[in-house]
Amino acid sequence: MAAGTLYSYPENWRAFKAQIAAQYSGARLKVASSAPAFTFGQTNRTPAFLSNFPLGKVPAFQGDDGFCLFESNAIAHYLSNEALRGSSPQSQAQVIQWVSFADSEIIPPASVWVFPTLGIMQYNKQATEQAKEEVKKVLSVLNQHLNTRTFLVGDRVSLADISVACSMLWLYRQVLEPAFRQPYPNVTRWFQTCVNQPQFKAVLGEVKLCEKMAQFDPKKFADMQPKKDTPPKKEKAAKEMSKPQEKKEKKKEEKKAAPVEEEMDECEAALAAEPKTKDPFAHLPKSPFVLDEFKRKYSNEDTLTVAVPYFWEHFDKEGYSIWYGEYKYPQELTMTFMSCNLIMGMFQRLDKLRKNGFASVILFGGNNESSISGIWIFRGQDLAFTLSDDWQIDYESYSWRKLDPDSEETKTMVKEYFAWEGDFKHVGKPFNQGKCFK
Amino acid sequence: MYLLPCHPFAQEVCEFAKMALRELSSLEKALGLKKPNKYSTQGDNKQVPVLQSNSGPALSGLVTIATHLVKQANRADLLGESAEHRAVVQQWLEYRVTKVDGCQKEEIKPILKDLNSYLEDKVYLAGNQFTLADTLMYYGVHHIIMDQSVQDKETYVNVTRWFDHVQHYPGVRHHLHPVVILKNRLYTSSHH
Ligand SMILES: N[C@@H](CCC(=O)N[C@@H](CS)C(=O)NCC(=O)O)C(=O)O
Repeated sequence: MAAGTLYSYPENWRAFKAQIAAQYSGARLKVASSAPAFTFGQTNRTPAFLSNFPLGKVPAFQGDDGFCLFESNAIAHYLSNEALRGSSPQSQAQVIQWVSFADSEIIPPASVWVFPTLGIMQYNKQATEQAKEEVKKVLSVLNQHLNTRTFLVGDRVSLADISVACSMLWLYRQVLEPAFRQPYPNVTRWFQTCVNQPQFKAVLGEVKLCEKMAQFDPKKFADMQPKKDTPPKKEKAAKEMSKPQEKKEKKKEEKKAAPVEEEMDECEAALAAEPKTKDPFAHLPKSPFVLDEFKRKYSNEDTLTVAVPYFWEHFDKEGYSIWYGEYKYPQELTMTFMSCNLIMGMFQRLDKLRKNGFASVILFGGNNESSISGIWIFRGQDLAFTLSDDWQIDYESYSWRKLDPDSEETKTMVKEYFAWEGDFKHVGKPFNQGKCFK
Repeated sequence: MYLLPCHPFAQEVCEFAKMALRELSSLEKALGLKKPNKYSTQGDNKQVPVLQSNSGPALSGLVTIATHLVKQANRADLLGESAEHRAVVQQWLEYRVTKVDGCQKEEIKPILKDLNSYLEDKVYLAGNQFTLADTLMYYGVHHIIMDQSVQDKETYVNVTRWFDHVQHYPGVRHHLHPVVILKNRLYTSSHH
């Protein structure tokens, strides 16, 4: 079974293909998309990275065995299982057919249409209208194909569905409003079914279909352009790319040969996503407790004899808080693999919180009789989820209790949850498996 | 209770009860239940399957028994992934026993129409996952789909697509014949 690390930037639809494939196959995939593991625009320009991945582009995959791959489709293929790749020569070829279709027929017009609505590309009426027509063509081909079929190839989800659905994410989110998609009910049925499979959901979270076609916003676009003296406005839809200046200049300096125009714009958006929203923890005074150092201890040394004592020795109760979080709907937890996906999906969506948080979350019990609870450490005294819009997806499904760092109860819970062993008196179900957010 | 051989529907009723029992045994296999249960039938026409368990009272009726089997197999996910979906599963199980079972010839079209429009924007009967409703509805409409012409199958394309998906779902088909479904349409043009 393949196992390794996927380098990417957050919310990269190309990386999603590989991440979803790994959800289906069970390949163990770590995603490195934020500091300190990986900083887009920096790490991928280092000689070490370039020697493994000469293009310096992401997504890029490095196996635990050292095996390296670039190109998102190759990575997704590698992380798939036979069911996803197709089991006959015909179905394998059909999978490639749809994967290529996504890249060459969907992505180009989708980018021309969607990017201006995100403010990352100048609007050109003629180009947009032409792109809309091309998207219609693509939709009717898919609609016809899916009239008699549930999934694109064979009877189950394959890599074809993963690739094509991911390449349509932006279309469905930004511009395919109900009236526009109305002639293509088969496509929407298929898309909705795909993105609601637990394996997709674990990676994508909730995908909300567009209600009103997003339009080009000249103001947003102007804000995104490099102007020395006007600081970029933090706008909701544009928050992903609210600070493109530095990066643009950097690019000019380097005089990099520009690849296809829309490609660069997408990358720009991604690069800009990095320095972006100001650090929600910035107002806090410096803390002597170095979370990363604790994480290193926790990952590399014995939990009970080293990591837990280290934690209590260095924990700074002014600068950090300890929380107990319990999943509110245990009766909805069915298969354990789905429950694990639920936990891992939450971790992935909280990716940017890693620097300021740590958690050990445990699934107790078995199929149809499980519960989920965990111990979370956050920077500051508040529940960190409310600090950023991006973090609020899951936290309402949990009940949260702030723990008193000096109480015996907390000492016991921290010990048991960090070590994944103990009585877990308040749970009443046996330990099944644990997951760490670090 | 014996069925009198002169009962006008004797043949049919017997067939019907047998079907329900075969269906339950297929469901047991689909669920991976190792020990087959013992069933009998009851009612004037012997239509209602009964499960005599060694613990607790006897269960009667297809839906009750099927639901019980699903829980016995620890597959409550097949009853729906959320409260809302669980209600939808129950609704279609109800529909299956009250509308589909024993339906007259002239009732077939309205049933197919119902299902066809319902399935236009859905892959499964309830929610985004396969549930017990799909299995039992598939068992229930199998004889109807078997008898359909190619043209009928195209008219009710959403039912046909759903049916084909379910019959290929791992472990479901068991006692039933596969129905051949054409993916390329013969009668209707691509626009509809
Ligand atoms: N065809 C490639 C495209 C990858 C790609 O264009 N990656 C961009 C991000 S959108 C990148 O890493 N650019 C970095 C750079 O050009 O320095 C794939 O699907 O993996």
